[in-house]
Amino acid sequence: MDYFLMLISAIFVNNILLAQYLGNCPFLGCSKEKGVAFGMGAAVIFVAVMATAFTWIMQKWVLEPYGLGYLQTLVFILVIAALVQFVEMFLKKMVPPLYKALGIFLPLITTNCAVLGIAILVQRKEFGLGMSLYYSFVASLGFTLALMLMAGIRERLIIARLPKSLQGTSIGLVMAGLMSLTFFAFKGMIG
Amino acid sequence: MRELINMIVVLSLISGASGLSLAYLKEVTAKPIEEQVLLNVQGPAIKAVFADAENDPIADRKKFDTAEGQITVFPAKKGGKLTAVALEAFAPGYGGQIGVMVGIDMAKGTLAGIGVTTLKETPGLGMRVTEAKYQKQFKGLALDKVGLSGKGGTVDAVSGATISSTATVVAANKAIEIYKSLKPKLEGAF
Amino acid sequence: MSIVKEFTKGLWKEIPPFRLVLGLCPTLAVTKTASDGMGMGAAVIFVLVLSNVIISLVRKIIPKKVRIACFIVIAASLVVSVELLMQAYAYPLYQSLGIFVPLIVVNCIILGRAEAFAAKNPVLLSAADGLGMGLGFTLSLTFLGALREIFGYGKLFGAEVFGPAFKPFTFMIEAPGAFVCLGLILAAMNYLAIWQSKRAGLPEPDVAVSCGGCRACAIGESKQIIQEG
Repeated sequence: MDYFLMLISAIFVNNILLAQYLGNCPFLGCSKEKGVAFGMGAAVIFVAVMATAFTWIMQKWVLEPYGLGYLQTLVFILVIAALVQFVEMFLKKMVPPLYKALGIFLPLITTNCAVLGIAILVQRKEFGLGMSLYYSFVASLGFTLALMLMAGIRERLIIARLPKSLQGTSIGLVMAGLMSLTFFAFKGMIG
Repeated sequence: MRELINMIVVLSLISGASGLSLAYLKEVTAKPIEEQVLLNVQGPAIKAVFADAENDPIADRKKFDTAEGQITVFPAKKGGKLTAVALEAFAPGYGGQIGVMVGIDMAKGTLAGIGVTTLKETPGLGMRVTEAKYQKQFKGLALDKVGLSGKGGTVDAVSGATISSTATVVAANKAIEIYKSLKPKLEGAF
Repeated sequence: MSIVKEFTKGLWKEIPPFRLVLGLCPTLAVTKTASDGMGMGAAVIFVLVLSNVIISLVRKIIPKKVRIACFIVIAASLVVSVELLMQAYAYPLYQSLGIFVPLIVVNCIILGRAEAFAAKNPVLLSAADGLGMGLGFTLSLTFLGALREIFGYGKLFGAEVFGPAFKPFTFMIEAPGAFVCLGLILAAMNYLAIWQSKRAGLPEPDVAVSCGGCRACAIGESKQIIQEG
């Protein structure tokens, strides 16, 4: 598939968060400030691409040849959990500045449905390894974009006068809905 | 050291228990799953192809050996006699293999129709091969005249989706080839 | 702590996902129709109750350092079982829910309750907790699904509600509608909670906050303990 088309599709038309519903918990929790949002987004890109690589290899070299396809969910989540542990330890020892920036987000990415979701999605779409890595990268970019946009909006919402019931997650969700609506406009771009 | 052994033992026990129970569950559910997949994935395509079968094509299905492996044939009967058969063939489309269920009217020697079972094409373009408007063109075609218009046939491709359309034609022809090779065995089998 | 109390807290006071804001992804994705919402809820009840029970049973023999790994293995195995059972006995539901069936394993409710409750409480209480939370989740999903289905398709559980003159409000079915609907319901729940506490003369409760990068999530907290300890 055309690479540019996939880029546009993954970021705007089929945004992993705003259109495919993956990655909502960190989205609403980490989007209060732009700095935190960028950290979470970067961590997701980092982990998602690596997770896709390892899970793809597991699927093609271990699960399928031995007829263990039904264990996909179990094996994938274990791979992701182990990967995140190793990355944390590695960063802590080898690249402390990066660890300081991304470290706190890493444990939460284990249960981030975006990471596991992307890993399973590329299997369902039957992508090759290169295409899977590319897709995971652009999809996570889309996630980061949505996160940054949301952070920008919410930084301004804090000083707005909202009724107490609407504050926090509620207005966040309504904002996400309106953002999702604007992204809908991109659907006409492709095909 | 003791702690390490403890951790390893507990993890292995839990993983082992989980692995065993899952393998067992897989065994137990294998047959119902096969039935359900046939009912829900191939089923709608078969219904599209055999509008007036008096039997249950899925329940009466039989497997045959061919040069390319085993193939499942779904029969349609009228008045107790075999009138048509359907079989599934695959061809590479734009986003992966397209599965096409091809129905062949045995009495008239023509296509009864096609239905699409599985595909991963582009929405709005390649996915349109699932539309009735496109598939209707296959109904009643002579078995050796299945092709795209301009390439020896009469089927108009979906505009903008030549690869997907070609795939359905290639799959249909594959199914026809298999049918021809199995024809002598089919009569007596059902 | 009584069994009844543990059971009922999941049904109103701490109902997921409306008060205990966890498990948002499936909430938004599978509530296009009421029956899909109910189906997902049923699957979650299965996984949550069994996961709580099993983890409670083995809680004394799991070493602290590999706690999360064990929880994940147990929860994931249950999710695989649910996938197999759904494929065998409810295939159309499996097709509808799609990728969100395997994603039950990263539903924060499952690991969250395991860590926060099942790992520290006896079996019966854990089962009650799981059942209550699961039922609350199912009710919420079915409610949201029904809302979206009625306004988006004009149907409820597949049956026509308004008659042929009704023009469906398609906004509800697509992603934007899901977000906005959930946000408004959360706001309503907040309002109710504040009103209730005012009536009882208690201090105002916090508005619902979502799981995120904060230490409030048991998973994030315990990982830190593991690293430091």
